[in-house]
Amino acid sequence: MAARFATRARQPALPPLLTSILVSRAFLYGMMFTVGIIWGAPLLWMVITSLKPPEEIFAYPVNWLPHAPTLSYYVGVFQRFPMLLWFRNSMIVATITTSLTLVVDTLAAYPLARLQFRGRRVILLVILSTFLLPREILLVPLFLGLSRLGISDSYFSLSVPAAANAFGVFLLTQFFGTLPAELEDAATIDGCTRLGFLWRIVVPLSRPALASVAIFTFVGSWNEFFWPLIVTNTDKTRTVPVGLSALVASAGMSTSFGITMAAAGVATLPAVIFFLILQRYFVRGIATTGLK
Amino acid sequence: MTTAFSEPALSRRATTPRFDFTSQRRLSPYLFLAPYLLLFGVFLMIPAVIGVFASFTDWSISGTPHFIGLSNYQTILNDPLFRQSLGNTLYFVAITAVPLIMVGLLLALLVNQNLRGRNLIRTLIFLPYVVSISVVGIIWVWILDRTFGLLNFYLSPLGIRPAIGWLTDVNAAMPALAVTTVWWTVNANMIIYLAGLQDIPEELYEAARIDGANRWQVFRFITIPMLLPVNAFVIPTTVIACWRVFGQAFVMTKGGPQGRTFVIAQYIYQTAFQNFRMGQAAAAAVILLLLTLLFTVVQLRAMKVL
Repeated sequence: MAARFATRARQPALPPLLTSILVSRAFLYGMMFTVGIIWGAPLLWMVITSLKPPEEIFAYPVNWLPHAPTLSYYVGVFQRFPMLLWFRNSMIVATITTSLTLVVDTLAAYPLARLQFRGRRVILLVILSTFLLPREILLVPLFLGLSRLGISDSYFSLSVPAAANAFGVFLLTQFFGTLPAELEDAATIDGCTRLGFLWRIVVPLSRPALASVAIFTFVGSWNEFFWPLIVTNTDKTRTVPVGLSALVASAGMSTSFGITMAAAGVATLPAVIFFLILQRYFVRGIATTGLK
Repeated sequence: MTTAFSEPALSRRATTPRFDFTSQRRLSPYLFLAPYLLLFGVFLMIPAVIGVFASFTDWSISGTPHFIGLSNYQTILNDPLFRQSLGNTLYFVAITAVPLIMVGLLLALLVNQNLRGRNLIRTLIFLPYVVSISVVGIIWVWILDRTFGLLNFYLSPLGIRPAIGWLTDVNAAMPALAVTTVWWTVNANMIIYLAGLQDIPEELYEAARIDGANRWQVFRFITIPMLLPVNAFVIPTTVIACWRVFGQAFVMTKGGPQGRTFVIAQYIYQTAFQNFRMGQAAAAAVILLLLTLLFTVVQLRAMKVL
């Protein structure tokens, strides 16, 4: 906002004003630089530590450039821990959660956004109110129910309950509502059924919104910590976050920073690549859900 | 899920197509909703209701639960550990939610400026969003390490001695978790505020400028009021998320030192899944629910949204 003023107020031959603009610009760039360091340094430090030989990790003073970089910790992570298995589990769980969420949320958002029927407002309100519900209330009943069925430690319990989420329905309801009503009339006259209309018209037009839902659900599932910690008992089902916390416990955090940093780096890399490719969908997804 | 338009002549009840038409049209919204509502009911609504009921029973991992009234509440409210977790969590909410909201807004204001490199900064701030709490915990335990940590290394020339054990000092541990949390999750608030800022009509700023308002007045009397709908979302959800804190404490401090970072969610975890006192854990979860509800209502009232 200040910048808008600054640019508009910039007129020739007004030295005091120009000075004040330059000072405020310098201040803003200084702030941005500081912010960049605070958010960039920790991740960079993780990568650098993971590349250092043991004697350099604990060197004083701190050095940001390893003298003899090594990948030995990365080898160690894969040799000593079932990292690939955790990745596989995370991938399966996140894929099931995301696919299921996309299908049921699309189907549900369509009538909520575009059809008039009894109970619409109540259903929408109940779904939205769960934004405010701390999920801790569900842990005990869900765990007991699933273990009674003998499936608490399974891909099913890691993925399917997570699809009962209000986020996607909310976002898609918002988005579907913005499509013009004439589309539906035209499709109906052409003999299109509602399901056909949803599949052939609404879904293709809503690709950005669907992408946001997919990405958020995927990342949310990928990073989920509490529920997998409760239900997984062995590496057969353990996801990356829970595996990492087991790795820290077994490697000993304070003695082996090298290997824990390498493990953290391995766990971070796919997420970061994924994010850099799909960044705009993240931003749009958060912005849409937070507003309107 | 066919409509009357699909081959009415072939239908055996083609004599009453009008009836078919309306009944199917009336039914189909619910058919579309059915799969979601099934999941929603089975994995959310029903467990939530059972969760409340469970808090009034002596449920353990096996056997039949019996109704025992309010005795779980009595037990945990008299449990020093639970009381400590309540106090700790309240403290965490107080020192984390406010920075999450203020820093979120300030960062949004900053990256909304027309500055070179702002996209890089946005990306950097946003990166932790895709990182799990295990990774964040691992990184910050290393940075906050008393002897070899990056933070103490850069603080030592400033004369902060003896070095602070950020995660082992009883007074420093919770603030350290708060800082980690802000670093990890402020990005979501930043993005929401950024979208909110960009939705404010340019004319309002122009009008204010013509009226001779200074920067602070513009911020105070245009930006802040126009952000009310955003605040009505950001503030309650941030506070709720803080009440639910778990991973940070679990990964970084295990609730220590001396239980100073032992939070409600960890009490629930320990009571339910290590001591198998499901009823008591459910009661703790209900208390958590009531606290978040109370805080949300108070905030929305204060903002005159409710």
